[in-house]
Amino acid sequence: MSECGAGSSSKDGQGSEDTTYRQSEPADSGAYECNICLDSARDAVVSRCGHLFCWPCLYQWLETCPHRQVCPVCKAGISQDKVTPIYGKGSNDKKDPRNKLPPRPPGQRTEPENHNAFSGFGFGEGNFQMSFGIGAFPFGFFASTFNWSDVRPGPPPAGSPHHEEEQILSKAFLLLAIVFIFWLLIA
Amino acid sequence: MAIAEQRIRREFREVIRSEEVERCRIKVELVNDKFNELKGEIAGPPETPYEGGKFQLEIKIPETYPFNPPKVRFVTRIWHPNISSVTGAICLDILKDQWAAAMTLRTVLLSLQALLAAAEPDDPQDAVVARQYKERQDVFQKTATHWTNVYAGGPNHADDLEDKVRQLTNMGFEEDQARVALSSHNWDTAQATDFLLS
Repeated sequence: MSECGAGSSSKDGQGSEDTTYRQSEPADSGAYECNICLDSARDAVVSRCGHLFCWPCLYQWLETCPHRQVCPVCKAGISQDKVTPIYGKGSNDKKDPRNKLPPRPPGQRTEPENHNAFSGFGFGEGNFQMSFGIGAFPFGFFASTFNWSDVRPGPPPAGSPHHEEEQILSKAFLLLAIVFIFWLLIA
Repeated sequence: MAIAEQRIRREFREVIRSEEVERCRIKVELVNDKFNELKGEIAGPPETPYEGGKFQLEIKIPETYPFNPPKVRFVTRIWHPNISSVTGAICLDILKDQWAAAMTLRTVLLSLQALLAAAEPDDPQDAVVARQYKERQDVFQKTATHWTNVYAGGPNHADDLEDKVRQLTNMGFEEDQARVALSSHNWDTAQATDFLLS
């Protein structure tokens, strides 16, 4: 077709540039190209879904749409702390530290698997741990438990120093309660 | 060199070597040497009203590419629920919030071709076309085929529709406007005339 002819002529126009491109990069380098800049990955990181990026490129992508953190290739969930850096033998850490960016997230080391998994269960070996918690509302627990069937004294007469003291205490505890509830909501 | 320009250079080389270009399905050309504006072309997919047509696209590359999508618009007029029949603006999720940085010119052009083959009338860009697509599928097919013939060089000529357009141009209306009015009113000459006069 005639249109194809036009297309291939523009291809020829790029010919000289193509040759230099091929010379500078071996044919199999495509496997280690960043999926964003299409150049060979610098400060390489790999996502959990297995896609390779330059750390600066991926960082910029995550910054561009902070509300929608997805892998640029397969749209799987992705986040800064869930990517793995790749450390080759010929480290390129010496050049271009990229001060403006946060450093690449560190690799995560997990301890080698313990094959005799139950050895630590004996009481004598000092590995036994035990914890006990009441959950988010210990105050309710204390209040209902320790004030059970407690007859509370009536309020002191207004104007007495005791009354004033109680008012201050009451306000202080109210404030504490508000702070605590606020903290619960935030956390 | 900015990342946008560097990437477009690489993509340009990739796309002009691709199998789709060899089979004349898609095409890209540079408009300037800054690599921030390109001309695209897609062939109408087979077994659709767009078959045989060549559709020109305007592609603008933002400075933040590839972190933000390219701005793409149909230059060739087209009758499609997700493309404005007047401005050529496209409603396609990957050109908006579903863009991902690993997408390329090639994948964008192929997605547009897929959009021509599978319209989404429930997420329309052109409400008039979308309504016709849902309510009068036969008229839609005929209209889209006619537009492909007139604007995109498609092979199927429709004499009856041409006659109606000529009827209105003889009354002094501009041809493209007459065609839009007739297409929007299911080729009812009286309604189209009323619309043009109002």
